[in-house]
Amino acid sequence: MDVPEIILVFDTNTRILNAEELLEDRGLPFELVPVPKEVNPNCGLAISFKQPAQAMIMPALAAANLLPSAAYRRQGGVFSDWPLT
Amino acid sequence: MIYLDNAATSFPKPPEVAAAVSAALAAPASPGRSGHAASLSASKTVHRARKAVAALLGVQDNSRVIFVANVTWALNLALRGLGLKAGDHVLSGPLEHNAVARPLSRLVKEVGVEWEVAPLVAGRVEPAEFARRLRPETKLAVLNHASNVTGALAPIRDVKAALGDVPLLIDAAQTAGAAPLDDAGSWADIVCFTGHKALMGPTGVGGLWVRPGLELAPLAVGGTGSRSDSFEPPEFLPDALEPGTANTHGLAGLAAGIEFVLGVGVQAIAEHERTLVNLFREKTAPLVGLRILDPSARRTGVLSLNLPGWSASELAVELEAEAGVLTRAGLHCAPLAHQSLGTFPGGAVRFSFGWFTSRSDALTAAEAVLAVSRRGRRNPTAGRGLVKSLGAKPFDADKEVLAARAAAAEAKAARAAEAEAEAVRAAEAEAEAARAAEAEAAGAAGDL
Repeated sequence: MDVPEIILVFDTNTRILNAEELLEDRGLPFELVPVPKEVNPNCGLAISFKQPAQAMIMPALAAANLLPSAAYRRQGGVFSDWPLT
Repeated sequence: MIYLDNAATSFPKPPEVAAAVSAALAAPASPGRSGHAASLSASKTVHRARKAVAALLGVQDNSRVIFVANVTWALNLALRGLGLKAGDHVLSGPLEHNAVARPLSRLVKEVGVEWEVAPLVAGRVEPAEFARRLRPETKLAVLNHASNVTGALAPIRDVKAALGDVPLLIDAAQTAGAAPLDDAGSWADIVCFTGHKALMGPTGVGGLWVRPGLELAPLAVGGTGSRSDSFEPPEFLPDALEPGTANTHGLAGLAAGIEFVLGVGVQAIAEHERTLVNLFREKTAPLVGLRILDPSARRTGVLSLNLPGWSASELAVELEAEAGVLTRAGLHCAPLAHQSLGTFPGGAVRFSFGWFTSRSDALTAAEAVLAVSRRGRRNPTAGRGLVKSLGAKPFDADKEVLAARAAAAEAKAARAAEAEAEAVRAAEAEAEAARAAEAEAAGAAGDL
């Protein structure tokens, strides 16, 4: 079964690296991936994780004032906007 | 050579700094521009420097640490970026460097800003002089954390308190790495720093921290790797103020430099430098007429002096020629400071001690001042007797450069000879293998 994936896009590289360190420190499951061209024209990186991890990851980012500028859900190769909370 | 010009640039650098720069040079450097591993690695290099600065300043949000080429650019960015208008009033300290005085002077001429200097009182920066000059139009105060001429530390917390809501821009060129800068948000609204002085990094890196809520307009705009679909620059930090590819190689060195400084401890560095200044002062104290510019106890490792009968440049030349002591003479790019101190236009001789300066270096420098003073101007035919008496090694730049070049040429020739010998060995081995194969083939044919 295709588990939906959440893609978090950040304004700046600095915030994504801060977010990466935070999630690594917490031992949360995620990957750094190139920003999918389908959702954003920027050339940097995004944070990607399987949807079930959202309940752990988003509160951790919110508490550190590191919420992304946009979030997307990918399932079956199709992207859709996704709420930040 | 006894290097006492650390206020200009620190020397030597910790080996870790050279190693970090070298490692960065060996990899692609396009931070924040691509999604591939090399770009990510470069991004992490820059990020490491940003985190190191945030740790040095004790600030939480490292995205408000902005990297530029040096502290002069940082100060220009701050002074221009605040959007000061005609009639706005700016206060400055009395010991400011030209990196502050010249941008302020341009703002006066080009924009119509009013710039007022809070004068020295009994030789010190006095917070009350800032307070009494505040007006409704006062939009900014600028203050050198430590003078690059006297080394005296300004009472920045008291000045901040005296200013109320008026933002305070601190020029920390001389103190970043040489005096504690913790909890920057409690004593400054903007802190400008350079990487190549007490932070031990290479030249070409500096920056500023801007407190949350205070916005600066960029001096330049361009590619940032973010919001690439727009002709407008991004509004978020640090991208808004960092157009163009970052100096990744320099920032790798800066990160290593700051990590070194934090590892040693800023307080330990400050105490070491103060100890050397005190040692130098004790040793030169018997010198009649010696004027030390602001001998205050709260200071960095910078000390400037004048000796009766000597111009600053004459004395500096003499100290180098006779004892290999490298100082800096003149106005130190700080005419305002020398005017405030009454040493304009002749200036002074500055001795600036660093973490790698030894007690022996400080004592030798002091003895050189005493000896030069006793002896008077050098007789050109007298040779280098002073050097011999002090046990100091004369610094002959040409000779050292030539020696280094000769050593490099020798090493290159040795490498070439070794490569040639290796090629001969390989060719011989190959020929031997071919002969063996041929013999084996011939043997096999015989067996048939």
